Amino acid sequence: MYIGIDVGGTYTDGVLIDDSKVIRSVKIETEDNLSISIQQVLAKLLLNRGNKNISRVVLSTTLITNMLAGVKKPPVGMLLLPGPGINPQSQDFCSDYILLKGAVDYRGRVIEEIDFGEVDSAVRHFLDKGITSLVVACKFSQRNPSLENRIEHYIKERYPQVDVAPSNRTSGLLNWIRRANGTAFTLFVKNDYNQFVQRFEETITEYDIGCPVYILKADGATLPLEIARQYPLESIFSGPAASTFGALATTQQDITGIMLDIGGTTTDIGLILNGIPLMAERGIYVNGYLVPVRALALSSLALGGDSAITHKNGQLVIAQRKGKGCYLGGNSITFTDILVYLEKSKLSSHPKIELALQEISKNIGKTAENIAEEILNQFIARIDEKIEEMFLRWEEEPAYRIFQIISGQETRPQTIICLGGPAQSIGSILAQKRSWEVIVPQHAEIANAIGAALAKTTLKMDVLIDTEQGRYSTNLPGLSGTLSARLLSLDEAKTFALEIFKGKCAEWKLVTAGKELEDIEIVYEEGFNIVRNWQTKGKIFQIGLQIKPGLVNLLNEGTDAIE
Amino acid sequence: MQLNKTGLIFFPAFDWSISPTHPEREERLLYTRDQIFEEGIPDSSYIREYKPRLAAKEDIRRVHFCVPDVEDQTTEAHLISAGSALKLGDALMKNEIANGFVMARPPGHHAMRVVHGNRGFCNTNNEAILVEYLRRKYGLKRIAIVDTDVHHGDGTQDIFYHDPDVLCISLHQDGRTIFPGTGFVHETGGPGAYLKNINIPLPPGTGDEGFLRVWREIIKPVLNKFDPQLIINSAGQDNHFTDPLASMRVSAQAYGKLTEELQPDIAVLEGGYAIETALPYVNLAILLALAKQDYSKVIEPQFTPAAVKQDEGITLYIDDLIRYWQDALSEDVPSKEDLFGEGKVYQRKKSIYYDTDGIRENQQETVQYCPNCPGLYQVSSTARDQVGQGNSIWGLSIPLFACDKCLEKGYKMWEQAIKEGKEQKTFAYYYLQDKKNDNYLKE
Ligand SMILES: [Zn+2]
Ligand SMILES: [Zn+2]
Repeated sequence: MYIGIDVGGTYTDGVLIDDSKVIRSVKIETEDNLSISIQQVLAKLLLNRGNKNISRVVLSTTLITNMLAGVKKPPVGMLLLPGPGINPQSQDFCSDYILLKGAVDYRGRVIEEIDFGEVDSAVRHFLDKGITSLVVACKFSQRNPSLENRIEHYIKERYPQVDVAPSNRTSGLLNWIRRANGTAFTLFVKNDYNQFVQRFEETITEYDIGCPVYILKADGATLPLEIARQYPLESIFSGPAASTFGALATTQQDITGIMLDIGGTTTDIGLILNGIPLMAERGIYVNGYLVPVRALALSSLALGGDSAITHKNGQLVIAQRKGKGCYLGGNSITFTDILVYLEKSKLSSHPKIELALQEISKNIGKTAENIAEEILNQFIARIDEKIEEMFLRWEEEPAYRIFQIISGQETRPQTIICLGGPAQSIGSILAQKRSWEVIVPQHAEIANAIGAALAKTTLKMDVLIDTEQGRYSTNLPGLSGTLSARLLSLDEAKTFALEIFKGKCAEWKLVTAGKELEDIEIVYEEGFNIVRNWQTKGKIFQIGLQIKPGLVNLLNEGTDAIE
Repeated sequence: MQLNKTGLIFFPAFDWSISPTHPEREERLLYTRDQIFEEGIPDSSYIREYKPRLAAKEDIRRVHFCVPDVEDQTTEAHLISAGSALKLGDALMKNEIANGFVMARPPGHHAMRVVHGNRGFCNTNNEAILVEYLRRKYGLKRIAIVDTDVHHGDGTQDIFYHDPDVLCISLHQDGRTIFPGTGFVHETGGPGAYLKNINIPLPPGTGDEGFLRVWREIIKPVLNKFDPQLIINSAGQDNHFTDPLASMRVSAQAYGKLTEELQPDIAVLEGGYAIETALPYVNLAILLALAKQDYSKVIEPQFTPAAVKQDEGITLYIDDLIRYWQDALSEDVPSKEDLFGEGKVYQRKKSIYYDTDGIRENQQETVQYCPNCPGLYQVSSTARDQVGQGNSIWGLSIPLFACDKCLEKGYKMWEQAIKEGKEQKTFAYYYLQDKKNDNYLKE
């Protein structure tokens, strides 16, 4: 049996899945203290059933999103080692920084030494300002982490009060700004996140669940709880990943379509191509800064069922949520009310809707019906625009290899998968306009929890092996090192890469022992001759490996009634 | 919309090379990739990255006589490299970007109008393909190409030698000391395009100072006078002080400076084979300069003031060269009629060597005088490789801005040529390039 729990902004959902069937589901309002919500959901899921045969628990949470809400500039100091290149002063770092000497080049060679006197004055500068969390970020630290690590050790020895983190242990992605920002946000949330994980572990122990427990990542992959502690940022925005994989679990595994998820205050639009969601491989924005977290490529709109309808200078506007909708007896006329009024929703009407529309009508001199139609059209137009943006993003994804360009563009999907309250009616209208097919997955209202329960544990690794420098590096945090054997051919390099990958998979509990080869695939493999003065001096290999993302199980059609 | 953005296509062709150890191999842009990605370039608000696309065969035929045909002279990599230039050209013309950098390989500036094989690592000329595409699609007329590769842009020169509306300027290491052995000051364009081809052969050892001086004192005034609607920069980077194939002393800073002052609309990567010590830095400096960003910290680890300093003798030589061009450019230009001379026909015999493929080509070009247009262009060409294999071809080109008389005459000549060809089999292939109607035929 699998348990999936998704802690969302408004609701916390949980499912218990057995033999490809949802055997119990729970939906409660999320408490301020997320740990309490989790406990309540677990209690309800296991009520009168006990903890027997539970083989997997996966948690998706908005905790990090909440913690970072509104944090424009984490109170963290940055020690930056830029080396030659762009003037860092023109780049977007999320915290205050000081530039230091010391540089590494693209091959991982140290081209400038550290000046520890500079390090001392930088640390003191931040301490004087009351800042005790420091990021050390050096360009090309994934190719050679030694400068970052030496500064880390130096600070740890002399300034025990300082919490210092080198960027190479956040990510190995080629993009030092994202690594620096990601490390700053990580430092900022780390302690609170660890307390949360601690409490979650205690809860699990309380229920005596002995199976592996995972945290869902933003790309739909999972991390074992004890590993997740080190990478809090990875769990940001896992909600949309949960919903998307949930939608997949309840439709077909190889579906191609547009995912439309309309929540209370936001709408997410994604693409699923042959059962695999389109990923933002290089990272995502957190509070306006890019961080190296692999996530679903989503186009998001600050629009949802709870968005308030109002008017400004005689024009109708869809604005931020103001409160409970009229259909619930509240005082804010919302987008959902409009759908109810136009009979495009299954929810029952409420006299307050008509009254609120009359009020607007008086002010702007349009009939209630016209107002409702106009709002609906506005909403659809904005979603339409985002869908177009999503398509362009997919079609214009940069490509660096011939085969990617030759293979040509696939045709645009013509299926829309609708999640969330208003999605079905909006989806149907959009579909009609473009003659698309509409799919409303079973259990759409708890797709997120199902996705959490069934999302496969996956991992993607890019390895670069430089035989002349005798080093390898990867995109994964902290995973780089020196080569002990001479790798002469692409085959030898592949074997080596596979070994590292398997090691990580074991550490992160990603594959079943003995089944590695079934699960792991090589995404690309390239060998470059390093030629100097017409002589081959060595080779650089680039190899990409992954465990294909997907689902542990599909749901069966005939599911039991939901309690 | 985003008028301040610089468009970028980065296409390293990690799966294409001439041969595994050839300078034009997969590794060439590997470290440039590392540098621009590690710097976070694709994330920058001032950069818009585009996906490459394939150029169409028509785009190639608009420029080249590929022997026997386009698919014999181009791989997918060539079509993508050219297509990348076209993609950014479109983005520029649609005002999506303020300017653009086509950081793609393989390069193209040694590819001439007739293509029997690979020369100087090039088969098809990306800049020429871009010029003809933009002129056809967007109705542009006057375009300038400034070639800052260390090698003479002989392919570009050959293609536009008789075109008065395309100004070709090439600064390069003196042809007596480096491939392709051409690019001297007397190669000034055909009689119908006199002084629309400017060569600036620089002595080996020229440093930042000389490089920037010839730009400011020769190229800039010529450009201002020509007043182009668009400037394309053949942004080769082998003038760098560490380049293994050349002997110049130019730094990333000087390349950045030149780009900042030249303000090309589209820069197209050409050569540059110091793939570690130069390319990551020079590419970055050019890109930042295009985007009007600070490139002052893009300094090669090997850089020292001495590395880019030129000898006194070189400075004096360059002084003379500048004076030569300033004089030549201030003289009165003879009339086109006078330049064509008595016979009203321009004829030239040329022998061209294809270093990569070991082919020797002998060709004869003829341009007919027309008072109203650039005139009809004919070429006959015979190529032989080391074992004596090769083709003889004949080609006729009707210029984009041909007058109606020349157009009519051109088709008559074409009919006659293929009729004769069928009887006498003088040439293996006959080509018609009608740029005016975008019609390309082969017999
Ligand atoms: Zn060159
Ligand atoms: Zn004419």
